[in-house]
Amino acid sequence: MTQQITLSGIEKHYGGYHALKGINLDIPKGQFVALVGPSGCGKSTLLRTIAGLETISGGRIEIAGRDVTAVPPRGRDIAMVFQSYALYPHLTVEGNMTYALRLKGLSKAEAKARAAEIAEITGLSALLQRYPRELSGGQRQRVAMGRAIVRDPAAFLFDEPLSNLDAALRVHMRAEIRKLHNRLGATSVYVTHDQIEAMTMADHVVVMRAGVVEQQGAPLELYDRPANQFVAGFIGSPAMNFVPGRVGEDEQSVALDLAGSPVLRFAGRRPSGEAVTVGLRPEHLELGGAGGNSLTLPVALVERTGSASYIVSDTDLMIAATERVADGLGQVTVHIASERVHLFHPTTGVALR
Amino acid sequence: MLRFDRVFRDGGGFDTLLVMLALGYLVVFSAFPLIYNVVMSFQEVDLFSLASFDRPFVGWDNYSEVMGERVFTPIFWNTVQFVGLSVFFQLTIGFGLALFFQQDFPGATWLRGLFLAGWILPGLVVGAVWGWILAGDFGVLNYVLQSLGLIEGKIFWLSDPSVSLYSGIIANIWLGIPFNMILLSVGLAAIPADVYEAAELDGASRLHRFLTITLPLMRAQLGAVISLGVIFTLQQFDLFAALTRGGPSNASNVLQYWAWQLSFEEYRIGQGSVVSVLMILFVVIVAFVYVRSTRNEHAG
Ligand SMILES: Nc1ncnc2c1ncn2[C@@H]1O[C@H](COP(=O)(O)OP(=O)(O)OP(=O)(O)O)[C@@H](O)[C@H]1O
Ligand SMILES: [Mg+2]
Repeated sequence: MTQQITLSGIEKHYGGYHALKGINLDIPKGQFVALVGPSGCGKSTLLRTIAGLETISGGRIEIAGRDVTAVPPRGRDIAMVFQSYALYPHLTVEGNMTYALRLKGLSKAEAKARAAEIAEITGLSALLQRYPRELSGGQRQRVAMGRAIVRDPAAFLFDEPLSNLDAALRVHMRAEIRKLHNRLGATSVYVTHDQIEAMTMADHVVVMRAGVVEQQGAPLELYDRPANQFVAGFIGSPAMNFVPGRVGEDEQSVALDLAGSPVLRFAGRRPSGEAVTVGLRPEHLELGGAGGNSLTLPVALVERTGSASYIVSDTDLMIAATERVADGLGQVTVHIASERVHLFHPTTGVALR
Repeated sequence: MLRFDRVFRDGGGFDTLLVMLALGYLVVFSAFPLIYNVVMSFQEVDLFSLASFDRPFVGWDNYSEVMGERVFTPIFWNTVQFVGLSVFFQLTIGFGLALFFQQDFPGATWLRGLFLAGWILPGLVVGAVWGWILAGDFGVLNYVLQSLGLIEGKIFWLSDPSVSLYSGIIANIWLGIPFNMILLSVGLAAIPADVYEAAELDGASRLHRFLTITLPLMRAQLGAVISLGVIFTLQQFDLFAALTRGGPSNASNVLQYWAWQLSFEEYRIGQGSVVSVLMILFVVIVAFVYVRSTRNEHAG
């Protein structure tokens, strides 16, 4: 596969602040890449770096096989959808969509025809003569998308484009954007702080923290084999439980630092007596003691969403059960498959395998 | 008593009071003098009838007399030049500076603030300072131009009839730049940075962005600054009083100064009022344009 975007060793300093620390990223043509991470980790900065809106302090950027490190934004053939949409307030929807085309030298008629075609795809046909101030938030979002799509750029960049929409519309647009991406055969980089968005939309997820890529890979890869405790805790909802523990004499089980020191088997071997952090996903703790590898926990609270019951134990351990759970439960016994028990280094957080 | 207090604080009472205060002020200090001025322009007013309201009406006599004055046409064209050139250069230089200070460089806000200093000086003081700068024999401007080798002899900026009007215009431009710059800076700051970024990604060069984003989004501010500039320029009296007193022989005279001369130097108060009425009409038109331009603002 040909690389559409290649970032090598991207460095960014804001005065004394080191915002991006040697980012490497290869994005093949047609891929949908999500950048996730907590607030302030540098997602937007990285995206703006690709667009050329931020100058970089070091590294190299290639877009469609061309070194664009020193090329200004308008020479990069990149379209961006901003969180604020950044529509041209004085232009109609049609004006917003034809702006770039007219600058490219298309005639008025050609530009309008192209805008009409894209308006059809994005469901904007009825709104072409409206001004941005006459549109709802969701409609503005569509215009921002339409404005990007008309240009047929080398890549699309999205900076949290859905964060201003209500929950239902967000879920809808999530699917919409992904469908459009497939239909256009586009290459997209999508910034979000919502790991569900990243997991559901992307082919490739990049998890960032404090200017560093912690791990990147296919969504389920990150879910199944997190490289460290940060990624493990960030990917998955509700978040993974972490409990301190110590590897037993058999080198294949770990005693949890909980009342009664319950012991869980894990896949692989670790040296006996090693202190570890044990990671247990709430949804992997299944009710019932069948099959062994179980532990019994006191129940502090049960939260019900209808489709799931979240059982919170005394020690803040969470269990996500799909079964309905009776009231007044004093304690609960759960079991977990040994290959689903994650171990991390207690101080560095690196996954131990 | 308690009820009245409630109505006053929570009901419309306080709002009404504020509106009445503003209205009262306008009636006493704006509407009355305006109307009185219009009335006087149709009356024969001299020093003896000044104190009474009962003065003979003379119809359009004052108007035909003013229009018939030999100096009316040159003074009218002086005013047009004064307003036109002042507003044009105040606007272009002010806009240029506003764009310049919009750039993010160290000390930008500071320097911009310094520009305001000129604006808080009273017109008379500005006039006096420019009087020294422009003075023919010992003026700074002549000295600078001469030492740069740009001119041979001295230019008598204030007493040479061919340049005295322009001296007033230069001083007035200087006086109006800070106001233009600040108002336009505010407008520029209100344009979101990401709109420019979007345009940049859409392929717009710096010039394109200025023409297709900045200018259209600044329409309201530009309209306001031009209209207010015209009004302020038509009000500009102190500069002439301090610099040229309209001279020599009306070469730099403008309507607003002439109106004052007629009324308060020659005591032809009826005719002075006529000039004022003509200017009021013009200002009303400009004010109308201004109100229209601020109404059609783009939101969001
Ligand atoms: N112009 C700037 N000057 C100085 N520091 C900056 C600047 N822009 C961003 N930063 C810093 O760089 C870091 C990364 O910012 P960035 O906007 O990329 O975060 P983000 O991951 O997009 O966060 P969020 O999810 O909140 O949008 C932050 O710590 C921020 O304070
Ligand atoms: Mg961001």
